[in-house]
Amino acid sequence: MPRVNGTGQRIYAWFERRLQLEGPVKEAALHPVPRNTASWWYVFGSAAFTLLFLQIITGILLALIYVPSAAHAWDSLNVLNHQVPLGWYIRALHGWGSNFMVAIVLIHMAQVFLFGAYKFPRELTWILGVFLLLMTLGMAFTGQVLRFDQDAYWGLGIGASIMGRVPFIGGGLVHLLLGGPIIAGATLSRFFTLHVFVIPGLLLLFALTHVWMVLKLGVNEWPMPGRVVRRATYVQEYNKLAHEDGIPFVPGAFWKDLVFSGAVIAAVAVCALIMGPFGPGGQPDPSIIQTVPKPDFFFLWIYAVLSYLPPALETPFILIAPIIGIAILLALPFYAAEGEKSWHRRPVAVLVVSFVAVAWGSFTQLGTVTPWSPHMSAWSADAIPAKFLRGASPLVRQGANVFQDKQCRNCHAVGGRGGQRGPALDDIATRMTPDELRFKVVTGGGNMPAFGKNLSPAEIEALVAFLDTLHPPNQRPAVNPVNEVYTSTHASGGEDVSAAPGAAR
Amino acid sequence: MRKMAAVLLASTAAVLCGCHAYQRGEVSQPVPRPSAVLDFATLYGQNCAACHGPDGANGPATDLANPEYLALVDDAGLRKWIGGGMPGTQMPAFAKSSGGMLTDAQVNAIIAGMRKRWSRPGALEGAQPPPYAQTQTGDAKRGAQTYQARCAVCHKQTRDEITNPVYLALVSDQALRTMMIAGSPDIGQPDWRHDSADGKPATPLTDQDINDIIAYLDGLRNASPGFAGTAAEPQSGAPAR
Repeated sequence: MPRVNGTGQRIYAWFERRLQLEGPVKEAALHPVPRNTASWWYVFGSAAFTLLFLQIITGILLALIYVPSAAHAWDSLNVLNHQVPLGWYIRALHGWGSNFMVAIVLIHMAQVFLFGAYKFPRELTWILGVFLLLMTLGMAFTGQVLRFDQDAYWGLGIGASIMGRVPFIGGGLVHLLLGGPIIAGATLSRFFTLHVFVIPGLLLLFALTHVWMVLKLGVNEWPMPGRVVRRATYVQEYNKLAHEDGIPFVPGAFWKDLVFSGAVIAAVAVCALIMGPFGPGGQPDPSIIQTVPKPDFFFLWIYAVLSYLPPALETPFILIAPIIGIAILLALPFYAAEGEKSWHRRPVAVLVVSFVAVAWGSFTQLGTVTPWSPHMSAWSADAIPAKFLRGASPLVRQGANVFQDKQCRNCHAVGGRGGQRGPALDDIATRMTPDELRFKVVTGGGNMPAFGKNLSPAEIEALVAFLDTLHPPNQRPAVNPVNEVYTSTHASGGEDVSAAPGAAR
Repeated sequence: MRKMAAVLLASTAAVLCGCHAYQRGEVSQPVPRPSAVLDFATLYGQNCAACHGPDGANGPATDLANPEYLALVDDAGLRKWIGGGMPGTQMPAFAKSSGGMLTDAQVNAIIAGMRKRWSRPGALEGAQPPPYAQTQTGDAKRGAQTYQARCAVCHKQTRDEITNPVYLALVSDQALRTMMIAGSPDIGQPDWRHDSADGKPATPLTDQDINDIIAYLDGLRNASPGFAGTAAEPQSGAPAR
C-alpha cells in the first residue's frame, strides 16, 4: 500500500485487519498469465462486465422516476425525456448500453469459441457464459417491454402468443407472463420485477462466478496450432507457460481491458449524446392501428425468420429450435473438451461462426427493410414521380390515380418508394405487354391477389394504360410478337395505333 | 489535490451544462396519437400527396395548388369531398364517419392548410366564373358543337385525349366542370377564359357552354369496355360523333 499519510494508513490497517482482503486481491491481481494473453482480443469479457455496471447505475437512476404501470409508464418515460434534467441522456445511456452489451457479449462468445477457450478445464465458465448470454437477451427483451410503447405492446403480444403455442401448459404460461389473460396493469409489474430484481440478481451472481473462474483457472493461453489440450497434462502445461513466459495479470494484461472498457463507455456516451434515447414511440394502445411494430435490433432476425417460415413450420421452429440451440451450446464443452484450440486447425468452427454471422446479418437486414410487409401508407403518402406523368394522357393520369387508390403501391414500388412485397414497376412495360398486364391484374398469380372483382373494367383499362407507360425512354415497351406480325401484314398505313405502341407514343 | 478536485468539478460542470445545451440527441416531442396530429404538412404528406403531388401540383389528380380552384370551391365543398370522397372518381373518403382515418378536426386542418398555403387573394382577378355546382342539364348536341369550336383546338379526338370513353368513365361531371372552370396550371389546362388558338383572348365559356359540353362528354362514356383488344379501339367510335 502506498504511503498516503499516517491517518490514512491507520484507517486502512484497521479495515484490513478485519476484512483481510489484501491477500486475495493481491493474489488475483498479480497472478501470472501467459504473456500472449495480453492481447486486444481478450478485452471483450471485461468490457461486457463494465457495461453491466453502467446498466446497473443508469438503471437505478431510471427506476427513481419510472412508473411500472400500464397507465403511467408511457407518461413517465416522456417525463424523463422532456422534464427531468438530463433524463433523456440517462435513458439514452441505458438504451445504448444495452445495445452495446448485447453486441459485446456476442462478440465475446464468438471469440471464446474461436479461441477454443471453452475446452478443459473451462467448461463451466463457458456454460455460465451461455446462461449469461441468455440473461443478457432476457434483460434486453424485458427492457424493451418496460419502454412501454407500441413496439413494446405488440412485441409483448407476440411473445405471449409464442408462449401460448407450448403444448398443454401454453395458456398457463401466458397467464404467468402477463399476470392475467391480457396485457394489463399486472403485466408491467411482472416485467419490472424480472428486469430490475430477478434477472439482474442472477446475472450479477453468474457474472461474478464467471469472473471468479477466469481468475482461478487462468486466462486462456493464445491458441497455437499443434498445442493440443489433454485433460491429463493441460493444467501442468498451462502453469509452466504462465510461470516461464508469464506476466502479472495487473498491469500486464489488465491495462488493455481498462483502455477498451473506457473506450466502450465513451462510445456509449457519444452514441447516447448524438442519437439520443430510444423512444418511447406511439402510445401502447391497441385501438391505434396506424403502427408498424418492430422488435429491437437483436431480435430483428427472429422477426425475419418467422416471416419467411411457412406457417406449418412456425410452431416447431419457435418451440424446438431454441431448445436445440441452447442444448448444443451447453453440450459443446463436453463434446470437444480436448483437442486443438487454434482456429487454423478447426475449419468447422470457423465455418460455423461465419455462417451464423452471415445468416444473422442477413436476417437482421431483412428485418430492417421488411420486404415481405406491405407499406400500408404508400397508397396515400408516396407521390407518383412527376417524370412518369410528364405529357401523360388523361387516361394514363387516371390510371395513376387507380394505381394509388387501389393500393397497388403498398406492395409495388415506383420511383424507389412503395412496398417491396411485389416487384418494383418502374420498367414493367418492358417486361409485360398490355394484355399480360391486364391478365395479371385481373387474375393475380404468384403472390399477387386477383383484383378482377375489385376493379371496374374502366379502372383496369386505365391502370393498364398507366403501367404500359412505365419503361425507360430509350427502351420500347414489350409487344406481343403475334400482334406485331399480324398488324405489319394487315394494317393499312399508320392509322392503327396498336401496330407499334412504342412508336405511337 | 484540492486544485485537481476543483479542475475535475469545473470540467464535470462544463460537460453537464454542455449536455443540457446540446439538443441533438434529445427527443423533441412525445409521439402523438395519429388522430391528434393536426400539422398540415404531416396530414397532407400522409393522406393527399400520393395523388395530388407533394406540393399540391404535378400529381395525377386535381391541382390543389391552383389558386383559382381554391377560389372556386368553398370550405363546405372541400369538406364534402375530403370527408366523403367524390363519387365517380378515384377520390376516396377520408373522414372517420365515412370509413376513413381522419377526424373532422384533421379534415378542417387540411382545408385550412390548403387555403393558407395555396390560396391567393384576387386569384380570379375580379372575374365572375360560372357557378361551381351544376344547376341545369345541358344539351349534348349543342355540346358537341361547342366542343368542336372551343376545345378541339387543343384536344384532338384520339384515344389519348379526353374524349376517351374509358377516361370519361373515371371522372365525374363535377370533376370535368371544375377542370373546365378553374383549369389546371400544372398540365397547362387553361381556365374558363381560355385563349383561342390564334392567341387572342377568347370569349369565356358560359355556364350553358359547360353544361352542354358535359352532356356531350357524358354521352361518350363507356364504363365497361371489353377486355379483348377493345382498349385500342374506342377511338374508332369516338370521332364519329
